[in-house]
Amino acid sequence: MNDMTLTERAVNATDNKITARNVQVYYGESHAIKDVDVDILDKTVTAFIGPSGCGKSTFLRCLNRMNDTIDICRVQGEILLDSEDIYDRRVDPVQLRAKVGMVFQKPNPFPKSIYDNVAYGPKIHGLTRNRTELDEVVEASLRKAALWNEVKDRLTAPGTGLSGGQQQRLCIARAIATSPEVLLMDEPCSALDPIATAQVEELIDELRTNFSVVIVTHSMQQAARVSQKTAFFHLGNLVEYDDTDKIFTNPTDPRTESYITGRIG
Amino acid sequence: MSDHILSAFDRDLEAVQALVVKMGGIVEEQILNSAKALETRDAELAKAVRLRDRAVDELEEKINEEAARLIALRAPAARDLRVALSVIKISASLERVGDYAKNIAKRSKVLLDTPPISGTPAAIRRMAQATESMLKDALDSYIQRDVELARDVRQRDLEVDQMYNALFREFLTYMLEDPRNITPCMHLHFIAKNIERMGDHATSIAEQVIYLVTGELPDDSRPKSSSVIETEA
Repeated sequence: MNDMTLTERAVNATDNKITARNVQVYYGESHAIKDVDVDILDKTVTAFIGPSGCGKSTFLRCLNRMNDTIDICRVQGEILLDSEDIYDRRVDPVQLRAKVGMVFQKPNPFPKSIYDNVAYGPKIHGLTRNRTELDEVVEASLRKAALWNEVKDRLTAPGTGLSGGQQQRLCIARAIATSPEVLLMDEPCSALDPIATAQVEELIDELRTNFSVVIVTHSMQQAARVSQKTAFFHLGNLVEYDDTDKIFTNPTDPRTESYITGRIG
Repeated sequence: MSDHILSAFDRDLEAVQALVVKMGGIVEEQILNSAKALETRDAELAKAVRLRDRAVDELEEKINEEAARLIALRAPAARDLRVALSVIKISASLERVGDYAKNIAKRSKVLLDTPPISGTPAAIRRMAQATESMLKDALDSYIQRDVELARDVRQRDLEVDQMYNALFREFLTYMLEDPRNITPCMHLHFIAKNIERMGDHATSIAEQVIYLVTGELPDDSRPKSSSVIETEA
């Protein structure tokens, strides 16, 4: 059957970008993530789905150590990025986050110009040597985020003055300006209208030629549309992780089936 | 499987499946009545079968509309999606079976003007009854989501195929004996072939049930008897 698979949907990467083994997360006494093992492929969109409070966002935030900022949060187990343990003492979380970028639910541009929003990351990480190089990075990032044509004549205007969909694409441009290897997206479209959602989804599909993208979404249709691999979380467990086609047409676990067909929330 | 959180979704799924069951009931009657009209040389019953085919066609259209609406409005996934797909395919099979019954009714009218071929209409009626029972069990397996019964239906197609092969040889013999038998035997042969095709559609429906429940079509090929093409031609 494999040769019948539409090429567009095919997962053409076999390399693991992120390997998680036996991951446990605790918020104080509460055990939020239980024994999660997952292999996230390079150049692939992986969707995390599951009801609210199932741990999908918590697990996503483990992947770039965003949970470090929460005092009561403890992470155990092993998470490898290209076979390097990201929780190793020698890893600088700031450097890690340049490699593993993140886009949040609500667009959160800095209260700066459009240009400075995108230039911020490359500047603080010293990725460019001069203004010309920085200009190039800003333009390339805005182009990749499908925003360049809309903002090229007003780069000095404040980022907060853009529409919601444009702001979210600006945040994506900001996240990719540091040339990350993995892009984490936590419900990137939940505050957007359907047109802006479609633009961001189109963008996600393009981004996977360069990055590994992990997206948390409440919209199962969105997971089905944009991802090649889907992981279903429930009560802190990773219930099922498989090809998106398989998950949405013939899932193995009855809990997955109940969730995607709208029987448990 | 428990109910959807959105109960209207359950009502939609049940409604479209109820239409399939209703359509299946009419088509079963059409098979039996067309074979009965043939054996008893009943022109009135044959006409009633012809006219009733319209109701079958209308139900198929209605089922397709409902399935399209379900897909558009409810975005079904997994088993729900397979329900939507299976009602489309099952109703298409039922519609074809209905057409074959109608065709049998048309041919039995022509046969009224030809000399009877002794014994064969009764044999055809037995074949129709075996096929109707396959279809009935295929639809029961659909209602009950009974994979074992569906597999059983699939096996029984072999019997109908063998009945057809036997009739095929019988018709050849009659036609060789007396050229005046050619017209009725040609019609009777098409009727037997129609019923054999009905059996194939009942088998398709059984396969849809297996797909609906397990998510996979049976991968072994259908049981086959040596066909008339190999033995006679």
